[in-house]
Amino acid sequence: MTSISKAFGSSQALWDVSIELFGGSVHALMGENGAGKSTLMKILAGVHQPDSGEIHKDGARVSFANPKDALDAGISTVFQELSLLPNLTISENMFLGREPVTRLGTVDYAKMNAETRRALQELGLTLDPSSLVSELSIAERQFVEIAHGIKADASVFILDEPTAALNAADVEVLNRHIRRLRDAGKAIVYISHRMDEIFEICDTVTVLKDGQVIGTEDIADLSPDRLIAMMVGRELEDLFPNRSENLGERLLEVTDFQIAAGSRPFSLAVHRGEIVALAGLEGQGQQKFLRALIGLFHPVAGHVAIRGRQLPLPANEANGIRRLRSYGAAFVPEDRKEEGLFLGLSISHNIAMALHSKVSELQPARSFSGKVHDTMASMNVKAASPNAPVTSLSGGNQQKVLLGRYLAANMDLLLIEEPTRGVDIGAKSEIYKLLRDFADEGGAVLVLSRETIELIGLSDRIYVIHGNTVVSNMQAKDATEHKILDAALGA
Amino acid sequence: MAAMLNNSLFARLSRIPPAYFVFVALLLVLWIARPHMLNTNIMGIFIRQVVPLGILVLGQLLVMRVNSIDLSGGSVIILVNYLISSSFFHDASLVTYFVLAVASGVGIGLINGYMVGIRRVSAVIATLAMNIIVIGAVEFLASGKPPGAVPKFLNEIYNSKLWTIPTPIVFWIVLSLMMWVLLKRFVFGRNVMSVGENPTAARFSGVPVERTVILAHALAGLMAGIAAFVQTSSLVMGSVRIGLDLPILAVAATILGGVVFGKGEGGVWGPFFGVLSFALLFVVMTTFNIDEPGKLVAQGAIILLAAIFYGLKTAGSK
Repeated sequence: MTSISKAFGSSQALWDVSIELFGGSVHALMGENGAGKSTLMKILAGVHQPDSGEIHKDGARVSFANPKDALDAGISTVFQELSLLPNLTISENMFLGREPVTRLGTVDYAKMNAETRRALQELGLTLDPSSLVSELSIAERQFVEIAHGIKADASVFILDEPTAALNAADVEVLNRHIRRLRDAGKAIVYISHRMDEIFEICDTVTVLKDGQVIGTEDIADLSPDRLIAMMVGRELEDLFPNRSENLGERLLEVTDFQIAAGSRPFSLAVHRGEIVALAGLEGQGQQKFLRALIGLFHPVAGHVAIRGRQLPLPANEANGIRRLRSYGAAFVPEDRKEEGLFLGLSISHNIAMALHSKVSELQPARSFSGKVHDTMASMNVKAASPNAPVTSLSGGNQQKVLLGRYLAANMDLLLIEEPTRGVDIGAKSEIYKLLRDFADEGGAVLVLSRETIELIGLSDRIYVIHGNTVVSNMQAKDATEHKILDAALGA
Repeated sequence: MAAMLNNSLFARLSRIPPAYFVFVALLLVLWIARPHMLNTNIMGIFIRQVVPLGILVLGQLLVMRVNSIDLSGGSVIILVNYLISSSFFHDASLVTYFVLAVASGVGIGLINGYMVGIRRVSAVIATLAMNIIVIGAVEFLASGKPPGAVPKFLNEIYNSKLWTIPTPIVFWIVLSLMMWVLLKRFVFGRNVMSVGENPTAARFSGVPVERTVILAHALAGLMAGIAAFVQTSSLVMGSVRIGLDLPILAVAATILGGVVFGKGEGGVWGPFFGVLSFALLFVVMTTFNIDEPGKLVAQGAIILLAAIFYGLKTAGSK
């Protein structure tokens, strides 16, 4: 596999970008949203055609009119949005449009299943080829797509944010498969926003910014700080705001909280002026604890007090959010598209809804246009007007609108899941600063995130959660990813 | 570039509820073929006929915007019709009859709301079952016989005019304005919009989702009660076989008016013109001497057209 080089037309999504992929190597592609990573990969996968530039594979010039051409040439892609049909079986998906037939003209299921089983086995998977894709977990679906590439005997695998929807255990399995492909001499392109994964799995990294290559380096020569500096043009310290200096009263106090039967009860507290993080491996109870406060999870036992007032538990799903709000606390959900935003409605509706819903439905709706305007200005939301539908915004701006809804509601305590999921690094930095400003003005924040580096940089104090209980409470300035993992696994 | 311009023009056109196009088209047909029909007297009579439908639609658009549906309107009409024309409430006052109608509607609406909002029963099944139960109960009470006469003064109000416009039409317009203000200017309207667009996000925004759904159903019941009151007033004798096709026509007019099922879109005036389109359709059909079966076919064709129109729209917006 030799050099790929191309420039991309009038919109200048890509400007004279060249990268080289080598067999037996995992190549990370990094950059902020809109830097051109996905465009570049879609050209390689035959989804887009380049305006100029050439693709060479194994020394010969190639060009792809469509994704099927690319797959036939040995380039397999797992896109962010999965492209399997859930109502078909694994093997039907694998042979979609190219089903083998028997002499009678019927579909040769025996052959399809046998070949599918062989491809799955190469990944060490024991899935039944005749099971429906809808019965598979997201991780398994991703493995099936990779198996699809194996069956087509692909030599280049493109993985576009494969871990965005995976939990930690599945990420580990995926990484094992990626290493196996690498050891088999395949070239792998890996796109991700998550720093820890890049350093764990990749050999080489190319950083794109504004459609141009900033540089290509061996991962061994890089530190996370250097990599971020390459992506944003500034250092890591600048990414996170300063930590808090003065703590106020106790705002949230949790005592003897037991998440599941048999798990050890724990206690924790959050003060005014403080950002507290819940860290640890995925699915260890962080989210259950947070969601228990709004009635989406029923804990075994425990007391929760906000500003000294007891919050009755278990909370009720139907009015958990409203009750929490009457205690001066807001909950920012993880999945902004499914749980957070009204995508088809305007920015002002999205921001003002938490204000409207505070009063009885039989009251006239206030306009809140000043409040919406102030929120958009202070959060630097880039949009044509407050009437623009949220779906027209970039991911970072959508996230800011979601956060803005709860900041505008004048709460004391924010419970936040994944404050910067799927957001580029520039917007991340802005969101960190907004949360810090909120705490500096006397608010308190309890945040959970899959990105440990983010939690360390953003928070003042970290509770490490493992096995449905708190196993460690450390100051963020002393914390490292290593210490957090140690605390989680040493418990 | 030209293609893009066409696309954005199409996109803008497709946001206009189909009811307006149908209304204008039918008006043109009448204007060309039977211009003498277009006077206030004749139009008033035909539009007055669809007032019960129009009031029922005000409730239907509300529940459809919170992703629900109400198919129990027919039973409310029969129940109210029976209560007013039977001997139970003989010689009661106008206010008593009105309160009776409204209470029946709200009661049935609240049960629907409880089933759909709290028990999470499918709205189609819950309201359809409600419909069958109530109709069965009324038929049992009436034991198959037509109940009795409708009080005369109700008839007189129905046939009266305010200036040149029949009173029921004025009443319908006032109710529509009230619904429009409720949806446009009150927090309830914002809640309805939010629940229709994304119930989970509505919950995370602090919207009382269940209460909004129940309230929407209660209001739909209220509208059904009022529609039943008007429908009954139009009759001389009570009947246990009236208004059975109204719920499905109400759904059709609502869809025609741009309220997309399961998307939380749409306003009050689109469905309003949807109902007017049905009124015009009856005029056109009558002037061309087309009988009841023909009217049914035409109604169905219009509903189908609206559905196709929205198919194009959703395919285009992807």
